Amino acid sequence: MQENNISTGNFEQCQKCSLCETVCPVMANNPDYGGPKRSGPDGQRYRLKNGIFYDDSLKYCLNCKRCEVACPSGVRIADLIQQARIEFSQKPPRLRDIMLASTDQMGPVASAVAPLVNFSLGLSPVKGLLDLTIGLDHRRTLPKYSSETFVHWFNKKAAARQDEFKKHISYFHGCYANYNYPQLAKDFVAVMNAFGYGVHLIEGERCCGVAKIANGMIPAATRDAKANMNAFSKSLVKGRDIITVSTTCTMTLLEEYPELLKVDNSSIKEHISLVEPFLYKAIASGQIKPVWKEGWKARAAYHCPCHQERLGLGIFTTELLKMIPGLELTELESNCCGIAGTYGFKKENFRVSQLIGKKLFDDIAAAAPEFVACECETCKWQIEMSTGVPVKNPVSILAEALDLEKTSELNCA
Amino acid sequence: MKFDVVIIGGGLAGTSAATELQKSGLKCILVADGLSLYNCPKNEFKAAGGTVLQGDRVVSGDFEDGRLLRVYTAKLGNEPLEAGQFVLATGKYFSRGLVADMDKVYEPLFNLDVEYDADRPSWFDPSFAAPQRFLEFGVKTSGALALKGGVPIENLYPAGEVLAGVSSAQGDATEQILNSARQAVRAIRKTDYAGE
Repeated sequence: MQENNISTGNFEQCQKCSLCETVCPVMANNPDYGGPKRSGPDGQRYRLKNGIFYDDSLKYCLNCKRCEVACPSGVRIADLIQQARIEFSQKPPRLRDIMLASTDQMGPVASAVAPLVNFSLGLSPVKGLLDLTIGLDHRRTLPKYSSETFVHWFNKKAAARQDEFKKHISYFHGCYANYNYPQLAKDFVAVMNAFGYGVHLIEGERCCGVAKIANGMIPAATRDAKANMNAFSKSLVKGRDIITVSTTCTMTLLEEYPELLKVDNSSIKEHISLVEPFLYKAIASGQIKPVWKEGWKARAAYHCPCHQERLGLGIFTTELLKMIPGLELTELESNCCGIAGTYGFKKENFRVSQLIGKKLFDDIAAAAPEFVACECETCKWQIEMSTGVPVKNPVSILAEALDLEKTSELNCA
Repeated sequence: MKFDVVIIGGGLAGTSAATELQKSGLKCILVADGLSLYNCPKNEFKAAGGTVLQGDRVVSGDFEDGRLLRVYTAKLGNEPLEAGQFVLATGKYFSRGLVADMDKVYEPLFNLDVEYDADRPSWFDPSFAAPQRFLEFGVKTSGALALKGGVPIENLYPAGEVLAGVSSAQGDATEQILNSARQAVRAIRKTDYAGE
């Protein structure tokens, strides 16, 4: 890549080869969308002259970033599109978009009355009403909330013993593991503890902000980003690397903060790692040793989430899972599931969302695994709703397949 | 991570060499940087058990005693890809397998020896349809091996358009590219069997 290039998102390197268009999941299913080349680098030339060239169809981009993975010239196509939306979109976010995006404002409220929320969001009259009033599609299964947040559980049940370990890491749990599915975070703590790492929360952790970026709430997302950077620097002072479990949060912290929110993250880039690369490297280099359960067997199909494709770290997940002796793993062809965070919840996107995911759903049905292995929380919602096949995070698979007691004996001595 | 063969470049030469090598029982990884082929050929490679790094690119390599030991990619960072054999199929100028400066043509990844003419005006013919010499430039070889500083690298096999004399502008381009890939595959198989 040209190093002296100063064009935004490297757009002048676009050679019009159109490879990005062949991989865009939206373009294949929604004729109203102009596609990544026209919306990104082509449109950028016009928008630089005058903002009136901004086209509202850019909202159909689901920011999967497959165009960037395909681009042979290193153009940050999806970033250009998101940047243009931030800069030129005149439409303020709707009430629905604000509700969907404010994961860490909605979370505490919904968790406090979780049984009521879960019960009512499962009722078809309620879903019909939400569809009519705010445009939340009634066919979508809505995420469940947990009545006890992970943080609450951790402080009550796990925090006290974390200082006993010799090695320590900070854990960025994200909103999903905290409010919706604390079991994932509990599995993470169990696995890391078994490998001899004390797990510590990051004081002042906020939502990574990805849903706010997607819904045009840039000032709020920037506030989250700055607060997180502050919180991270305190963790780094203690010499603890930051381990994450969500691929999308990780991509946001690493890529979107500097590119879209203009928040400098250079101090943490070397110190943030997804859990799968972290564990793979530690096991491969012999720093930690897994003991697997005798006789544990499962058959899984791995779906690589789009943002993991963009990070390019999916190989660590598959190589880590291949270490499990009882796991028969097939890899699904790389395709978008269609949900893209909050995108698929919106009434106007539901049909396209399901069309995009169809190839993946068919492949899963053909592979007929016991479960799908996938790092992404929103892929999990989409795949479980659309195929009925359960989806497990690699961390939860490790928690099941490891003999935690023996692993702990071996690594904590 | 350790593999038998690392294939750098996911175009026609890289993908076909990778698939052949994987099918003959070698553990292969394809770093599909630059302009790369999409689903059909890659799925065949994956179905044979191969690993693809899509959208990543090799940025450097460690050489020792005339051998390439390992390569590093942009996205895997400090985790190297180690292998016994390497195929270099990074193509010509568009996919940055070669770079043309004002005064020279060079191979940017490993600085391998490149065949080109020092006389720049002779690189091209102003007539658009005429054969263009710059398309003939490429990495020099000794047998199937790449040359670096005049010395063959004993486990680095260039294939496809990165090679001198192989060019997509020729009528039998596909055949030439596939032939060069086959040559690399044959050479690697030979060393592999000899090693057993």
